Amino acid sequence: MNRSKSLGIALASVLVIGAALGLAGFALASASPHQTPLVCAAVQGQSKTCSLTMATYPDSGEGVHGKDGGPHPDWVTYSNDNVILPANSTIDMTIDQYDSGGSLNDAFFDQIMGTTGGTATIDGKTVTHVDPNNVGHTFTLRNIPGSGTYLFVSVPLPADPNTDNSVVLNGTHYNKPVVVQFSFKTGTKGVYEFNCEFPCGGSRQGQFGEAMSTFGYMSGTFTVN
Amino acid sequence: MSDTDNKKSLKSFYWMWGIGTVIAVLLSLWAPGHFMPRSMSGNMRLTILTMVVFSVAAAPVVAGVYAIAIYAIRTWGVHGDDIPPPAEQVRDNPKSVGTWLLVSTVLTVFLLVWGLTALAADNASTGKNPLVVDVTGQQWLWSFSYPGTHVQSNELYLPVNREVEFRVTSDDVTHGFWIVNMGVQVDANPGTITTIHTTPNRLGDFTIRCEQFCGLNHAFMDANGHVVTSQQFNSWLAAQPQRA
Amino acid sequence: MTTTLEHPVTAAIPQGGGLARRQNYATGVAAGVIFAYLFWLISHMTLDSTGRPFGDQVATFTCVGWMIGFWIGIGAFNGPFRWLLGRDHTHEDDLYYAGQNMGKARYWKFTTDHKVVGVQYIVVVMSLLGVGGMLAMAMRTNLITPGNHFINQQIYNSFIAIHGMVMILALIVVIAGPWGNFVMPIMLGARDMAFPRLNALSLWTLVSAATLLVGTLAVGGLPVGWVVLDPISDQAGVGMDFFAMAILVFAVSTTVASVNNLVTIFTMRTKGMTLERLPIFVWGIVFTAILGLYAFPFFIVAETLQLLDRTSFTSFFVSTGGGTGWLQANLFWLMGHPEVYVILLPAVGALLEIAAVMSRKPVFSYRTAVGAIAALSGLSALVWAHHMFTSGWAPTLGGPFMLTTELISIPTGVFFLVLIGTLWRGHIWMKLPTIWMFGFMANFVIGGITGIYLSDIPLDDQLHGTMFVTAHFHYIFVGSVLFGAIAALAFWFPKVTGRFLSESLGRVSFWLVFVGVQITFLAMFISGLKGMPRRVASYSILFEHTNFASTIGAYIIMSGMIVLLVAIITSWNKGEPAGPNPWGANSLEWMVPTPPPLENFTVQPVVTEDPYNFDKEVVRS
Repeated sequence: MNRSKSLGIALASVLVIGAALGLAGFALASASPHQTPLVCAAVQGQSKTCSLTMATYPDSGEGVHGKDGGPHPDWVTYSNDNVILPANSTIDMTIDQYDSGGSLNDAFFDQIMGTTGGTATIDGKTVTHVDPNNVGHTFTLRNIPGSGTYLFVSVPLPADPNTDNSVVLNGTHYNKPVVVQFSFKTGTKGVYEFNCEFPCGGSRQGQFGEAMSTFGYMSGTFTVN
Repeated sequence: MSDTDNKKSLKSFYWMWGIGTVIAVLLSLWAPGHFMPRSMSGNMRLTILTMVVFSVAAAPVVAGVYAIAIYAIRTWGVHGDDIPPPAEQVRDNPKSVGTWLLVSTVLTVFLLVWGLTALAADNASTGKNPLVVDVTGQQWLWSFSYPGTHVQSNELYLPVNREVEFRVTSDDVTHGFWIVNMGVQVDANPGTITTIHTTPNRLGDFTIRCEQFCGLNHAFMDANGHVVTSQQFNSWLAAQPQRA
Repeated sequence: MTTTLEHPVTAAIPQGGGLARRQNYATGVAAGVIFAYLFWLISHMTLDSTGRPFGDQVATFTCVGWMIGFWIGIGAFNGPFRWLLGRDHTHEDDLYYAGQNMGKARYWKFTTDHKVVGVQYIVVVMSLLGVGGMLAMAMRTNLITPGNHFINQQIYNSFIAIHGMVMILALIVVIAGPWGNFVMPIMLGARDMAFPRLNALSLWTLVSAATLLVGTLAVGGLPVGWVVLDPISDQAGVGMDFFAMAILVFAVSTTVASVNNLVTIFTMRTKGMTLERLPIFVWGIVFTAILGLYAFPFFIVAETLQLLDRTSFTSFFVSTGGGTGWLQANLFWLMGHPEVYVILLPAVGALLEIAAVMSRKPVFSYRTAVGAIAALSGLSALVWAHHMFTSGWAPTLGGPFMLTTELISIPTGVFFLVLIGTLWRGHIWMKLPTIWMFGFMANFVIGGITGIYLSDIPLDDQLHGTMFVTAHFHYIFVGSVLFGAIAALAFWFPKVTGRFLSESLGRVSFWLVFVGVQITFLAMFISGLKGMPRRVASYSILFEHTNFASTIGAYIIMSGMIVLLVAIITSWNKGEPAGPNPWGANSLEWMVPTPPPLENFTVQPVVTEDPYNFDKEVVRS
């Protein structure tokens, strides 16, 4: 086989197989589990502000993971794992916390950190920290190295004290949630990651298995545009 | 091939080896300092120096192998589809084997002595009363507390020129506590405490990274650190919220 | 040397074989799936479903079912079972099992002919390298820019572990599998391996284990790193049980293969083949097998204990129960370090063989070469804790392990001496095997030197857990072992197929892979020096340029491997024809026709000298 013929075969095979692999890669990227994005809603009359509402649930039955709660209906979950925020804005965040709780394994997280004023409002009361023995989950947001500006927000979400079974979502009854509100500012464009820092996920050491280590349950991505 | 022919033709090999060594040595002197993070402790300076010394020592080895390969291809390479004629059937040369063994042993011993000396230097305590910092790794965050105060923070503040002893543990899985600018790291293991020492000798900001795979967000487990003056350190401590 | 008879006249397929006449890979898979389902069903119904380890228990039993079913379906148990019944194999059965006159069908069956097993290993290795390579490309694509844009971090983390273990599996067998099987018995003047049925068993067990390993991706993945350290592995789902079972199954394959190799080499050499006349490649296999027999039981222990922790409430590695993850790490690395020499030594042996033949000179200082291989093998058992320098375990042992690790550089240097001495003033035939060998030399010196950096504790304190480590071992695995494997492939390809591996496509592939390796992994060294940790789905902006370069380099490597794949496929049936001894070598495998007859020799040869006297002009045949 002469040189140019073999170079031709080489080039052709690289292009063809490379294209096939590229398609496969594209399919892989699209299949990466990601829920429909939740876009932070603009607030009337206030520029550079938007409001965002999320929730934490004691199981996966409320519809986000599929009709019957998906492959792990008994796992706790956040309501969204894919959020879009505007850059350089104030985000007014509300989290409805439906789950019970317990004692934080690291009391460090009983503080409100990184929010505007260093406070959060819980069922109407403004606080700087909560009782570490009565926490349901935490909302801990950080920037990914190499993306966006430094951002660290951590808000403990207290355990839900209500027992009234009054809220119905997707056919399942839940207690009235405890409502946690706080604000923080976004910086430049980038990808940010949030996860809960109160482990409750099944393995013997540290309880960071199951829902804690599976993307889309107790962790997700905030994309700042 | 006559002896003079051999010596003459080996000249190109020596030239390639020499020039290759010079280039490699220059690279060795420049690259570690240029690429490695800004040094903020004695450990780190020694580490960068060790990198330079080892690279300079390795330079003639790497250059030699490359030179031999290129020289062999150019001088003795036979192209074409016919089996080349037999070469001189040399089976052994005890002198060259002995020399090679000697040189490589000397080189290895040198590297070993340097390494053990550097290790001893790193481990030597200054004897002063070190500042103790408790480091806790948790998926996926570092927190630092200062025993004797009630301060716990996710940013590490250190006073300059004071020896620090880090007592490192984990709440869940094994993490790797690595102060990138100070050349020290140790794993954070659950159920036990591991210890490292260093003395920050330069003011400024530094980075802490997790270097032991610890799960979903291992890649995002960076923490910020700051080396400040003693006064700044004390006022920072006083300004932190007191924890139980 | 001796002559052999020509190819016998084609005859009918032997009458024997029994059940094996209907068994092949498809029946193996079918039986494996059926038994896996049965075991799943039974364990699901009988075990305590409220227990915490229920999922792990069911998964483990399912894997056991797959393993047993596959062995039954492929026909691995036929022989022992018939022996138990007092109806051991007849000669016709043996010929059937050896695949006499069966054409291509025998490659899909439990065939005992070592040459068939060798070719089967080539296919299995290429498949594993392909899967591992795809995972690597996905990972590198994710790392092309900072921020995490391609696949989410959970998928990425799972890919890290599977890529690692699949590639390790592939590299353990990449040279010892195809060439330790196809070539080695002929090199010894033997008719087959000592235990031909065990030989087929070790191949099909590898296939069974690899299926479990890749199947991990389908049951939730393994986002805990390929070292599966405790405690993080505690957090993995049933993928971890699949992994542990895959390893246990693989350990069977490798133990059986090692024993087979050693017994063959020490008892089945033909008359006159003293140990001093052994081709150097065989010495590589000897010390690889001994090292493997020493090392893999540690892995068996580590994985068994991990499975017990996961299924049976033990706490060997669980600190809340009194155990420690450090025990798992020690057991793992007691295996893990010798394992990388199990990967390297066959390449060392093969390359010395190639260097001698292609330089038309004997191996330089044969005894020193054997001594260096033995020293590498022996010393590698003493260095394992250099993987744990920063773990906090036994800091006082740092010095001793630094000593043993740095000492390994001496036999490594001796290997370079022997290789260079063999090439020195040779008439070096610049064909494909030689070219890949030179590539090996250039890469191995960098891989080796950077290993010495890491063996120094003050340097390791900075570089452990960074991409510097990753670049170091990729220079060894990709830059050295893979180059050696391709050299071996190009060298023995004419003996398997009767054709040359395409010289032109092979050279295109070489340059793409060689340049790609330099770009990818030199940039990766710089990433590590700058402070980039390893096993990360995204990274700081500081590392964006070097990562971009590494990803481009990875695409170049992939292009080169695609070209190599095309070269192999097109050359297998349509390459330039080669005679039985195209390289003018003297070892026995080149003295038999191509393809070699079923039992290699009709009359066993008598050997009077080692295969390294090239001073007779050899007529190209």
